Amino acid sequence: MQFAKDSFYVAMRERLASLNPGRTIERNGSTRPAIIVAENELPNTGARFSDTFYVEFGEARPVKTGFVPPLMSMECFFWYQTHGDGESCIDRGRKLGQLDLELLNMCHPSYAAKRNFLQSPSVDLGSGIFWSGPVLEGAKERDRLDGGGRKIERWARLILYFYAEVSA
Amino acid sequence: MTNTGMRAGMVPIGRRLRAYFAPVDRETGKATPFDPAKHGVFLLDAPPTPWIDLGWIENFARRSGTLVEPLRAGTRGAVSGQYRGELEALVEFDFREWGKVQMALSGGSEHMNVLAADPNADAQASGGSALPAVGVLPGSSAVELVVGAGAVGSFSKGDLVAVDVDYQQQSGYVGSAIAGAYVSDPVNVKHDIDFVRRVTFSVGRVAETTSTSLLLAQPLPAGAPVLGAAVQRVVAFVDREGGAFFQEWSALFVLEAESGGRVCFYYPRLTPCGQKASDDQRETISEISAPIHSIALHATFRALAVKDENDSALALYYRSYFPAATASVY
Repeated sequence: MQFAKDSFYVAMRERLASLNPGRTIERNGSTRPAIIVAENELPNTGARFSDTFYVEFGEARPVKTGFVPPLMSMECFFWYQTHGDGESCIDRGRKLGQLDLELLNMCHPSYAAKRNFLQSPSVDLGSGIFWSGPVLEGAKERDRLDGGGRKIERWARLILYFYAEVSA
Repeated sequence: MTNTGMRAGMVPIGRRLRAYFAPVDRETGKATPFDPAKHGVFLLDAPPTPWIDLGWIENFARRSGTLVEPLRAGTRGAVSGQYRGELEALVEFDFREWGKVQMALSGGSEHMNVLAADPNADAQASGGSALPAVGVLPGSSAVELVVGAGAVGSFSKGDLVAVDVDYQQQSGYVGSAIAGAYVSDPVNVKHDIDFVRRVTFSVGRVAETTSTSLLLAQPLPAGAPVLGAAVQRVVAFVDREGGAFFQEWSALFVLEAESGGRVCFYYPRLTPCGQKASDDQRETISEISAPIHSIALHATFRALAVKDENDSALALYYRSYFPAATASVY
């Protein structure tokens, strides 16, 4: 399962870097694409970045019997927020729209190779991962900020499919 | 260890099939080859020349009508062997995307480019007398039509155009590189100098104009214009029930493999047929959210036989499989 999560994250990260090289964050002294797997962050991490995709994984279950190893599905969530560029935050909706569009493009094509990233260079594990089209939930406005502006955030979700790494 | 279940990497999983078509040389009957060794692993957005990407298809169904008959012997008529009788294969699907080639394949007969017409011309169901064509000058290519400084003003960004030679009153197949019709008698087409451009597959959309050229958004399906070609504005495409011509194309269908591995179905010669495996529908209605629907072009084909040069056997289609990396072979 970890290989599937790693492969999905790396695919999203590489696609985001290609789609919008300017969407980056500074983290531990290095610049990297603005996409973070929440469960890989330090527990005491403070407030979440704006204009950054956070990936979370949910329930996993076998979807088809008879496969060895089992074909699994896993919920995958994206969360992102923005307050726009201007002081008034009046462009926050448009900025959210840019993030939405980037997410849709990152998810296409809806498959990638599953690789073992515990080794360097990574190793192709032979089977692919693939996923459903993302569903964008309703955008939510956050409380008014100190500067008088507002943040707007969105959850998106999709189903990730992969073969579990278990012995037959 | 024996696995009793299906093994990862050996189960093609995908959600879509993509269709590619390429012309058959109607004079010689020569199909466009698909050699799995040479062409098999192409990027789906960049098919090898001359295959034309016709987009995603749905409701793909292949049916074999080949008869396999028992060979009986002895007084009891026991089966001692079997043989293949008549060969037949049908394939049907829905083109999700509409376009010139998709319509022609769905319709099956001549497919008309409705040329921009003289406002005073008599009304015709497939287009009336056309406005005069503009000659295409040397230096043109499949994506750039050089027409000269004076003529370029006759076209605008966004125009559809048809590019081909004038009809020379000949009999036989017409249409450069891709046959669009068969003329048995020039009288039938009223000696129309524009007739080849009415049926040609050499069509495109003007993306930009320069001081002397039309730059096209997509390459002309038939390639660079031939010597003597001319260009005319097109306002619509029309097909019809009827006509004497049968489209005939080579076809390739590729399963977008999402779990690894690729499956390709190659039909060297495919011609539209009226025999529907399902029903007589010409379009497929697909509900998006009532009352909103999308309309797909339904197409049904019969496979024509070719000789496999490796063993001289007759074949109607080929199915090729490219196993996923590290997948078991059997």
